[in-house]
This record gives sequence, structure tokens and C-alpha cells, in this order.
Amino acid sequence: MIFAHLRLRRRVGLLAAGLLAGREQDDVRTHLATCARCRAEHDAEAEALRPVVAALASDPLRSAEPPVPASVLAARVAREVAGAQLSVGRKRFWLVALPAAAALVATAIALPPVVKRFRPAPVAARVTIPPAEASALLEEDALARIERNLAREQAARYLNEAGEVLVSVAATGVDCDRKDDRLDVGEAPERSRELLEKRRLVVDEGGDAVASARGVLDDVELALRQVAELPSCVKRRDVELVQKDVEARQLLMRIRLMTRELEG
Amino acid sequence: MARLAQGDREALTPLVERHYTRLYRIALGYLRQRDDALDVVQEAFVKAFQAAGRWDGSADAGPWLSRITVNLSIDRWRRNRRRGQTFSPLAEGDHLEVLADTGPSPDRGVFRREASDRLSVALQELPERQRAVVVLRHYQELSLEEIASTLGMSLGTVKSSLHRALHRMRATLAGGAS
Repeated sequence: MIFAHLRLRRRVGLLAAGLLAGREQDDVRTHLATCARCRAEHDAEAEALRPVVAALASDPLRSAEPPVPASVLAARVAREVAGAQLSVGRKRFWLVALPAAAALVATAIALPPVVKRFRPAPVAARVTIPPAEASALLEEDALARIERNLAREQAARYLNEAGEVLVSVAATGVDCDRKDDRLDVGEAPERSRELLEKRRLVVDEGGDAVASARGVLDDVELALRQVAELPSCVKRRDVELVQKDVEARQLLMRIRLMTRELEG
Repeated sequence: MARLAQGDREALTPLVERHYTRLYRIALGYLRQRDDALDVVQEAFVKAFQAAGRWDGSADAGPWLSRITVNLSIDRWRRNRRRGQTFSPLAEGDHLEVLADTGPSPDRGVFRREASDRLSVALQELPERQRAVVVLRHYQELSLEEIASTLGMSLGTVKSSLHRALHRMRATLAGGAS
């Protein structure tokens, strides 16, 4: 009887705040009919919360209309999406084109003396590749190598940043709500979300160049998704779940090794 | 959403028309800044377009879009806080616009404006997730179960968050009134 009273008494506040329904609500209401003290508590709490609920209900922002029509917003969104696709394309083009151009200029300056120095004496019957074809092959090869290196560097940077986020979560010891035993994970969820946005670019655009990192990238994605779902002030056990998962997959060590491998 | 997932930009307009006002009110309830709220909603639709390929299509897109909007509102709030810009009383025009339909007397308009500003301060005092719960419950009138599913929280956490938030707001509003 006493236990039932204690159990239901804890819910009196929830009922007063309008947060119970169905059987829970019925149980507490039945209890209130027989417990004068709980009834008094309920009435006092309902009275105390009434102005807050009334203030929220009468806030004019509840019925605010958006300042621009839907068609205008849709056009803006479409423009931004198209712009983002274009800028990714442009960025990617310049990422490859600029270093490639630099490499070609360097090759054009440095190669002739070297070739001249090591070139064997001309043999009349020797089959030679015409200079134009040789230059095309060289360009293609150099571009492919540059593209591959860029993709691997990008993947290494991504893994490094992901490692930092996971370490910041795993190592956190800052209380943000002692009573509830909650820990502050700061901006880790926000950074995880940003990294997850980048992931697609790293994996999809990396192709074969990052194929060896695929397993680590997949596990990192799972861990980042867990962190991205966390609030900034999080229950200790939720942090421990992330820690356990990272440990079970030996993720930090694998990130370190793979980053080294990708950086060459 | 299925059309969006295939990169069809024409599918944006019906999606925006269907969810725009609702998402705007979530962001405005959270941020209390009209321009910020509009930016957030625009960004939410851009993100939805970019992530449409990963959407499994098994459920209504509404809660998914709400979740993106809440997360972006929280991000925007943090960014504003880092720059020292958090809540400021809404500009005169913002209030006039929302009050225009009911046509209140000038006194009543001033009173409602002050009440809304006090409410902004009380919401500002809440932790980020508690504020999101309050906005979804009292500005969107979502059920507790819908809030839990939108924010990825347990039902118990939603109830206790909302209960604590109301008490915290009561203390702030009472402090401001005295």
C-alpha cells in the first residue's frame, strides 16, 4: 500500500503537467480520490504550471506565417542545391587541375635535361614512341596519380578528424548535470554530423584509391552516427556505450594505422 | 521523397509546400528570430534533398524533416551563442505581422509583445533538448510518442524533460514578473 502510494505520488506531478494518458492517468486519478495529500499536491502543481502553459498557448509565434511564399523558398532551395553540386564539381576540377598543371610545367622543365642525360645513343633501327604520344601518356599517368593521392589524403584527413571526435567523447569527464549523472560531450554531435556529410564525398569519390580503408570507414560511420544522435549533455551510460563500441572495434588503433597507410 | 532520391529537383516544390509552414514554426519557436528561422528551414530542405538517397521511404517524411530542423536549429543556436547573439526581442515588424490577423488594440499588442519576450527569455534558460521538447509539444502540439520518435528519445525522457522544462520556465517567468 505504502509502496503503491510512493510509486503513484511520483506521477502526480506528471498528471498535473498533463503528461499522463490512458491507464497511467486512470491509476493516478483513482489514487487521488483516496489520498488527500496527493490531491493537494496535484492541485498546487497544476495551479503553479497553469500560467506557463497559458503563456505558451497565447504566444503569437505559434501562428506565425513564413515571411516568403513556399514557391520562393522552393526556388531558393533548388538554386542552392544546384550551386552546391556545381561548386563541388568546380572544386574537384580545380583540386585536380591545378596540381596537374603544376606537375606538367615541372615535368616540362625538368624532364628534357634528364632524358637527354640518360638517353642511350641513337640506334637507327630502334622503334621510338612519337613525342606527342609519350607526352599524352605521361599526362594521363600523372593525373591519375595526383587524383589517387588527393583521394587518399582526403580520406586520411577525414579519419583523423573522426578519431578526434571519438576521443573527445570517450575521454569526456565533464559533468553537465550531476544530479542526473550526465556528461558534457560539447560539440562532438555537431562535428559528427558535419563529418557524416563529408563521408559520402570521401568514399564515393575516392573509389579504388580508398578501397583498402573501406572497412575502417564503415565502422567509423557507425560510431559517428551514434555520436551524432547524442545531445550535448548526455547520460553517462550512453557515453559508455559509445566507448565500449569504439573499444570493441579497436577503432582508434585502426584509424591511426589506416591514416598512416593512406598518408604513405 | 522517392523522386527527390532520384535527384528530381521538381519534386522539391510539393515537399516545401507541404511542410514549410510547420517547419518554420518549429525553427521560429526554437530560435525566436525570423531570419534565422527562415535560413534554418531553407537549409533543412537542402539537406533533405542531399540526403534523400539515404531515406528508406518506409515512413512519413514529416518527422524526419522535423528532426533535421530541430538539429539545425540547435546548431544555429550554438553558433549564435558563440558569437554572442542569442535571443533578442523580436523586431517590431515580427510582432505586428503575427498580430495583424486578430487586430488587437495597441495596448493589447504591447502586452502580448512583452509576454512573448518574457517567454523567449524563459525558453532561453532551458537546455537545448528540453527547449526542443517544449517547442514540439506546445508549438506543434505533437503527442509525447511523436516527440520521442522525432527526437530519438525514450518516452520517459520526453515526459521528464517536459516536466522539468515547465518548472524551470515557471521559475524564470515568476522571477521576471516580480
